[in-house]
Amino acid sequence: MAKPYYEPTDSIPLPPADAETLTTACDYCIVACGYKVYRWPIGKSGGPKATENALKVDFPRNILQGGWISPNMHNIISHNGRQHHVVVVPDREAKVVNKGGAHSIRGGAIAQKCFNPKKPTKDRLQTPLLRVNGELVPISWDAATDIFAEVSKHVIDNYGSHAWAQKRYSYQYFENTYALSKFAWVSIKTPATAEHDNPGHFSSTPGWRDIGFENFAACYEDYLIADTVVISGTDPFETKTILFNEWILPGVRERGNKLIYINPRKTTGAAFAEANGGLHLWLNPGTDTLLCMGISRVIIENGWEDSKWIEEFTNNKWESDSGFGQGVRNTPWQWRTTWGKFQCNGYEDFKKWLLSQKESELAHVSEMTGVSIADIRRAAEMMAKPKADGSRVKTTIGIEKGSYWSNNYLNTASIGDLALLCGTGNRPGQMISRMGGHQRGGMTAGGYPRNHSPEKFAGRRRKGLDLDRWVEAGKVRFSWVVGTTWVNAMTATGHLFDTLAKQTINSPHQLKSTDTKAAIEVFKQRTDAGGMLLVEQNIYLTEDLGKKLADLVLPAAMWGECDFTRANGERRIRLYSKFMDPPGDAKPDWEITAMLARKMGFDGYDWKTSNDVFEEAARFGRGGVLNYHPLVKYAKKHGKTGHEQLREYGTTGIQAPIRLEDNELVGTKRLHDLSLALPESGPEGHTVWPKKLKSFNSQTGRANFIKTPWFLFGDFYDEIKPRDGELWVLNGRINEIWQSGFDDIIRRPYITQRWPENFLEVHPDDAAKLGIESGDYVTVTNDRVPVQVSGFIARDVDDLLFTGLKKNGHIVYDKAEVKAVAIVMPVPKVGTTFMYFLNQKESANRVVPRVTDPISDNYRFKLGFGKVAKSGESPYKHTFAQMSFASRAIM
Amino acid sequence: GAAGNIVDAVTAKYPTKKVGTLSQLKDGVQVIFSYPEPTVSNFLVKLGEKAGGGVGPLEDVVAFNALCTHMGGPMLGSYKHEHKVVGPCPFHLTTFDMKRHGIVVAGHATESLPQVLLTVEGDDIYATGFIGLIYGRHQNT
Repeated sequence: MAKPYYEPTDSIPLPPADAETLTTACDYCIVACGYKVYRWPIGKSGGPKATENALKVDFPRNILQGGWISPNMHNIISHNGRQHHVVVVPDREAKVVNKGGAHSIRGGAIAQKCFNPKKPTKDRLQTPLLRVNGELVPISWDAATDIFAEVSKHVIDNYGSHAWAQKRYSYQYFENTYALSKFAWVSIKTPATAEHDNPGHFSSTPGWRDIGFENFAACYEDYLIADTVVISGTDPFETKTILFNEWILPGVRERGNKLIYINPRKTTGAAFAEANGGLHLWLNPGTDTLLCMGISRVIIENGWEDSKWIEEFTNNKWESDSGFGQGVRNTPWQWRTTWGKFQCNGYEDFKKWLLSQKESELAHVSEMTGVSIADIRRAAEMMAKPKADGSRVKTTIGIEKGSYWSNNYLNTASIGDLALLCGTGNRPGQMISRMGGHQRGGMTAGGYPRNHSPEKFAGRRRKGLDLDRWVEAGKVRFSWVVGTTWVNAMTATGHLFDTLAKQTINSPHQLKSTDTKAAIEVFKQRTDAGGMLLVEQNIYLTEDLGKKLADLVLPAAMWGECDFTRANGERRIRLYSKFMDPPGDAKPDWEITAMLARKMGFDGYDWKTSNDVFEEAARFGRGGVLNYHPLVKYAKKHGKTGHEQLREYGTTGIQAPIRLEDNELVGTKRLHDLSLALPESGPEGHTVWPKKLKSFNSQTGRANFIKTPWFLFGDFYDEIKPRDGELWVLNGRINEIWQSGFDDIIRRPYITQRWPENFLEVHPDDAAKLGIESGDYVTVTNDRVPVQVSGFIARDVDDLLFTGLKKNGHIVYDKAEVKAVAIVMPVPKVGTTFMYFLNQKESANRVVPRVTDPISDNYRFKLGFGKVAKSGESPYKHTFAQMSFASRAIM
Repeated sequence: GAAGNIVDAVTAKYPTKKVGTLSQLKDGVQVIFSYPEPTVSNFLVKLGEKAGGGVGPLEDVVAFNALCTHMGGPMLGSYKHEHKVVGPCPFHLTTFDMKRHGIVVAGHATESLPQVLLTVEGDDIYATGFIGLIYGRHQNT
C-alpha cells in the first residue's frame, strides 16, 4: 500500500487567481491553527506573480514571509464528483493562534489526509461492511441500519439499557458528539458509555475540579506575558507546536521569560529551557506529586507564598466548611470532598498539613523524584520568590497527560496547590490550564445518566460505570465504537482484546450469509448466549477492533467532508469548511446517528444539515465554557444560520463562552479573569454569565487548597516500580506522529519514512548495560501486568486502594510483549524508556497496568514497565532511507 | 540511497556544476556553494561516516540546500558534527539528519532538507540535481 518512503517532488502547482478559497483549521492538535484551502479544477495552474495566483503573493517566497506551499500541502480531491487540485496552507493572514502563517509538521502536511485513490488514503471505508464467514463484505446502508436497530432493540428489551454500550471519541466536532450523546444518553439512557481516553465518564483533572480551576481557563497570550512558565507532563514543542513557537519561545527570546519543564524526558523543549536560563526537572516517572509538595514546602518555608492573594481568593476555614465540594448537594464527587482526607480548613490548615508530611521533606522528595534539592529550591525561587523590588513573579502553569494520567487525582491537586501558593489562576500571565491534547469538540445532549449506573460507594451517590470491566463481566451485548480504536487505546491492551474476542469472534454464533434477516437472528442468538454484537464506525478499519473483531462496520466522513465546528485550547470556535466529497457512501457521524435513530423509532433526529445539529446543540451548552448559544440567536436575528455566522469569522473564530454586548457578539479571552470588565447593566439578551467568568468554579467562587496524601497512590506505586532488571516504559505522542496513528504513520509517506515502526528511546547508560544499539530490534516484556477486574457495587475507599483491590480478588496478572526499534539517546531519564503510545501494530499500552485511580477512576496510562532485550537488528540500522537515530534534544 | 530509480529522472532537469574538491573539505566543516542558480545557497559537508547519497572514498560527503523547509531559516553554521545533524534552526529549532538524506529529526518542516545530488571525478565534486523542493519556490529551476 504505502511506499516504504516518500518520493519528494521538486515542483508544486500554484492555485490560479480564480481558485476558490475556503477557511478551516487544522484537524490535529488542540492549538488548531487557521488554514486556507485553495481549490481549482485539474488542468489549470496559476503563475508565480502575485496577480497570477490565488494567494496573491510573489514566488519565490522569502524567509519568514509565509505563503510557501510545500509539496506535502498539495493533493488531488473530488469535489461535486470532479477532480480538483487543493492546497491546504496555513493562513498567512491569520490574526490569532498561528499569526502570519506558522505551522507544525502535522498541520503542514494535512492535505495528505484527503482521500485520494492514488495515495495511501485509498483504503478509506466507503460502504458498510458485515463479517460473513470471517470476512468483511459490503452491504447496503439499509441492511446495516436494519441490523443495528433490530439487534439494539432486542438487547435493550431483554437485557436493559446498560447492556447497550457506546465507546466514542470526545472531540470530533460539536455536531457529531451532540448527536452521538443524544442517542446514547437521551434516547437509550445507557450508563455503559465511555470516551476514547478513559474507561468511563470521569473528570480528567479531578484535583482541579475540587480546587475550582477550569481545564482551559488560560489563553495563549498568558504563556507569553508570564515571567515563569511551568510545563508539566508534556512538551508543547512536540505536541502543541504553535503554542510553543509563537507564544512560549518568543517569551523566552524577547522578554527573558524562564521555562521550567517537569518531565521524565529531556525533549527539545526541555533542552531549550535549560539552554535559556530555565530548568528541566528530569524526574522519575510517577513522582510529580512529591515534587510539587517539595517545591510547595520551599515556598512556604521561605514565606514566598502570595499571602495577600491567598487571603482574598482562597477559602478560609468557614468557607471551606460551608460546602467545599458541594457536600450537601449530593454530587458524584461528594464522598471525596466530605471524606476528610483532602479538605483543608483554609490555607493555615493546608500549610500545617504539608509541613507535617514526610513526603514533602526535601531529602525524601529528592530521593524519590531523582531531582536534586538545589533544583527543587531553584524551581521554587523561579516560581514564587519576590523580585528585588518586592513585586511578584508572574507564573503560568500548563499541564498535560504525562502529569495527570500517571497519578490522576494527586498530581492535579498538588500542582493546583502550587499554583495557589504562587497566586496563579485568575490574572493575565498568571494562569493554570491544561495545554490540551485533542481539540475541544464535545457538546453533549442532556447529561450522563448516572442514576442508571450500578457502580457506587456504600452510602454515596452513584459513580460512572467502568466500561472495560463491565464488558469483561459479560454485561454488554451490543457495542457501538465510534472513531476510536478502543483496544489499543486502553491499558492492558491484550487483556481487553481477549475480552472482546470472547464476546464476538469466539462466539459460536457467526454469520454464514449476508441475508439481513438471517444476520439479525444470528446476532440475537449470540446476545442471548451472552455474546455481543460489535459495531465499528470509523474512517479507516482499525487494526484490532475493525480488522479482527467487528461484526458490522459503518463508514464515516471526516474533516473537510462536511461543515463542522469545534474549539481549540483557548476556547476559540471556528467553522471547518467542507471542501471535498466523502469517499463512496461514507457519511458524517451525526448523519449516521440520525439514520440509526430513525430506524430505532426515536424522535428528534430530523436534521437535514450539520448546521441543524449545531443550532440544536447550542441550547445544551449554555452554562458551559463552550457556550455559543448567543451566536446562534444573533445569527437568526440577522437572517443567517449559525454556521454562516461562524464562517464570517474565518480563521479568527470567536472565543467561548460567547456573550452579547451592545448588540454585538464578544468572545471571552480567559476564564476566572479578574481583569474582565462586564457591563454593569447585566447579561444582555441570551447571554449567560457563569460564575467561572470572573471567579473560581467552587462553592464560593474562591479556590480550595487540597491535601494530597501519598498513601492513596503509594501502594500501587510500590507494586509497579521496576524491579529485577525492569525499566519504566513510558508512552506518549511525539511531534511527527500525533493523530491517533491512522493518518500519519500509516498513510503519510513522509512520516512513514521517518517512523516506519514503533520505537523505544533508551538512555545510553541503560543501553550499554543491555547491549543495545540504535537500530536494534528490542522486545519489552512484562509478565506481571496488574489488571483490575469486577467489583462494581458498594465499595469503600480502602477497597479501592491497590492493597484492597488485591485482597478482595480484583487484581489478576497478565503477560504482555511489545516490539520496537531502539533509539539510544539521552532523552529518557536513566531507568526510563519511552515509546509512541498508539501504534496499532505494536501498542505501548500492552505493558501498562489496568488499575484505576481510587479517587477518580481514571487509568494510570503512562506508567508502563517491563524488561527490555535486544531481539535482532532492524533494516534501518545500516541503511539510510528510513528513520533517524539522532537525538531529539540537540541544542 | 534515498532516491534509487528517481535519481535519473531528477538529474535530467538540472545542470552539472563543479561545487568543490574533496581535498579542500575538512571533517565537520560546512562549505557553501551556489546551485543551480547563483542566488541559491547550499552547503557541502564531510561527515566522516558513510551517509545516504554520500560521495568520496568514504561515501561521507553530502550536500544540502541551506534554507529550512519549515519557514526558510538559515541552516549554515549550525552543523553538529557529534550528531551529524544541522540545526536547530534559529527560528523554530527544527533539526535535520545529514546521514539520512536530510530527514527531519525533530521539528516542524514537512519536507526533508533538499539534498543536492553529487558525483565525483578525481578530486572534483559536481552537483547534478536536487531531491526535494527548495524553500520558498514552486519549482527549483
